[in-house]
Amino acid sequence: MNEIRIGGLRFSLDLSQPLYEQVLEQVRSSIAKGEIALGEKIPSVREMAQALKINPNTVMRAYQELERERLTETRRGQGTFITTDAARVQEIRNKLAEQAVEQFLAKMESLGFGLKDIESMIRAKGGVSQ
Amino acid sequence: MTQSAISAEDLCKRYGKKIALADFRVDIPRGTVTAILGPNGAGKSTFMRMITGMVRPDRGTVTVLGRKPSWKTNASIAYLPDRARWFGGHTVRQAVEWGSKLLPGFQTDRAWELIDMLGLGADQEVAGMSKGQEARLMLAVCLARDVPLLVLDEPFSGIDMLSREKIVAALIDSFSERSQTVLISTHEIAETESLFDYAVFFAEGRNALSGDVEELRARRGSVQDIYRQLYG
Repeated sequence: MNEIRIGGLRFSLDLSQPLYEQVLEQVRSSIAKGEIALGEKIPSVREMAQALKINPNTVMRAYQELERERLTETRRGQGTFITTDAARVQEIRNKLAEQAVEQFLAKMESLGFGLKDIESMIRAKGGVSQ
Repeated sequence: MTQSAISAEDLCKRYGKKIALADFRVDIPRGTVTAILGPNGAGKSTFMRMITGMVRPDRGTVTVLGRKPSWKTNASIAYLPDRARWFGGHTVRQAVEWGSKLLPGFQTDRAWELIDMLGLGADQEVAGMSKGQEARLMLAVCLARDVPLLVLDEPFSGIDMLSREKIVAALIDSFSERSQTVLISTHEIAETESLFDYAVFFAEGRNALSGDVEELRARRGSVQDIYRQLYG
């Protein structure tokens, strides 16, 4: 999979998974990581479709969902911009962090580790200071 | 899904002993970019020719944009046949003039935009063109038409990589520009599968599988994977 960069956003698409979800998740994560700044303009549907070599309908669907999540806003005649609402971005960061923790815990659990083991392993790594 | 652009019911067609289509059924939704896939001889070109009324079914019916295929419906279709050639005596400019006089829905300004995007020049002669250049010209003429249905039979076959990339870019530009139903048959799946939102897999004249590409990805993997599962 090749990484494609366009206007501060980074993508690497896997054709064996739905593309709409990947575009959505990858824009969301670029916003959460601060790779693209608040209030910054994002590429038009056409530009994004050209850069990713995908159907514009797919980009459009992802953009609509981002707008519904209030992560972007469309200004008439000017294009689509990342939200300027820092609190909203923080909410998304928290949500992504929660998901990461859940995935990590599920994986540890499947390997047979309990919360106590996990705690001590994280401490041993110097990951948590008290 | 929404209304269908093309629906086929129990289509049958034989050429002598060779069966081209056997009880073929499909519903292709309007506004989709649809991949027409399958090995050689699976019935793809026969189906595409039936849409334009060039081939009649022995049995069954095909409905195109709500009507039977005829010269009337053909005014609403931009069709690029397989193995197509353009008039050797034309220059690019003459090809555009020909299109603007004879092809319904032909938009001259759009044609020039596409020709520019596809890296062709007005004074180039068709007779001196490479296969890839000629394919790009014919694609420009098709895409310049503001008609509800575009049927492209193997627009990428036997064409160099750079020409293919230019054609893909022109297609994406065209999909952004207007909402058409587009059918494309191709064997270049790896390069083109991200363009499609609907796919029909032909096998021995039948519809082996068809559906929304994103749903197929979620269920069975990439179009390339599915192709291997079906025909491998």
